Amino acid sequence: MSAGGAFGGNRGLRPVPPEKGIFPLDHLHECDSEKKEYLSCLKTSGHKSEKCRHLSKKYLQCRMEKNLMAKQDLSELGFGKPSGMEASLGD
Amino acid sequence: MAWSRISSRTSLLNRLKNPEVLLRESRFLPDSLYPSYKFFKASSGCGSNNLMPRCEFTTRPLTKSYDFCSYGSRRLPRIPAFSSQRHYASHASVASTEKKSKKTLLYLTALVFAMVGSSYAAVPLYRRFCQATGYGGTVQRRESVEEKIARHEKDGTMATREIVVQFNADVADGMPWKFVPTQREVRVKPGESALAFYTAENRSLKPITGVSTYNVTPMKAAVYFNKIQCFCFEEQRLLPGEQIDMPVFFYLDPEFETDARMDGINNIILSYTFFKVSEE
Repeated sequence: MSAGGAFGGNRGLRPVPPEKGIFPLDHLHECDSEKKEYLSCLKTSGHKSEKCRHLSKKYLQCRMEKNLMAKQDLSELGFGKPSGMEASLGD
Repeated sequence: MAWSRISSRTSLLNRLKNPEVLLRESRFLPDSLYPSYKFFKASSGCGSNNLMPRCEFTTRPLTKSYDFCSYGSRRLPRIPAFSSQRHYASHASVASTEKKSKKTLLYLTALVFAMVGSSYAAVPLYRRFCQATGYGGTVQRRESVEEKIARHEKDGTMATREIVVQFNADVADGMPWKFVPTQREVRVKPGESALAFYTAENRSLKPITGVSTYNVTPMKAAVYFNKIQCFCFEEQRLLPGEQIDMPVFFYLDPEFETDARMDGINNIILSYTFFKVSEE
């Protein structure tokens, strides 16, 4: 699995779990549409994550609503104040 | 080098003589038995380092070996004395060699225990070393992601370099799942959290539980790769024929840009592997 790593690599180590834990699986496909939107946006924008951030935010919000993710303020997760665009619209 | 000459001469001597001769304690051995060493002079003469002693065993008497160089002849009388001295000192040397060998035994036993002990201690020590240095791709964690994000937002650091994060998916042998990344790559700037998906499908006719683990390459970039949330390390059960999307939410630390070691790195590969836990 882990190819290489001169010094024995990751063999004897326990890998670090993710910060906020594990995503519960979306067995009922409740947030599928948001996911599809996000993926199509990625394809059209040349896989740039910036351009599709709003859609990934939507996906995470969907997950939180359907209890598939711990509820948390999305600004803490890096979806904070959006860049200049919305602020100028608000004027 | 002189010592080697003497020792080689004595070993040769011992091979030639019979034990009775050794015990005799005489300084002069019978001429007939004594081999004479002829030194052939090298270009730079006697006593230099590139002199090659060639031993010719003849039964000529000692007194008639005129062609010895002065250096060689000085050595000769010492040899019988050396051999007689050896069995004079035998009594005392036996006791001291016994003491020495006991000491050696103690030292060697201690060495064995030290080696075994250090091989046991190596496991936690190595783990601690890897946690501290992030060597070999260990993903380090010192502050939580929210803290990092908050800190960088406060600083107002804007990342400029775009990193391509590619995705790879593997399945262990004997696992009838189709596991692929839903998108091939994501272009992200350090400091931006990004979302990615993997799709897994259970192609068999039985519900299968699997667990996954991940790795980040290049190894040294793993320090800056923070996974906020993913689907790894927990058993995931898929019903037969079920297809499911598995998201990964990750974040690349902006400090990635300031690190000189990361200068040439513009590609990061996140690789997941699924292993079978059980099947019903």
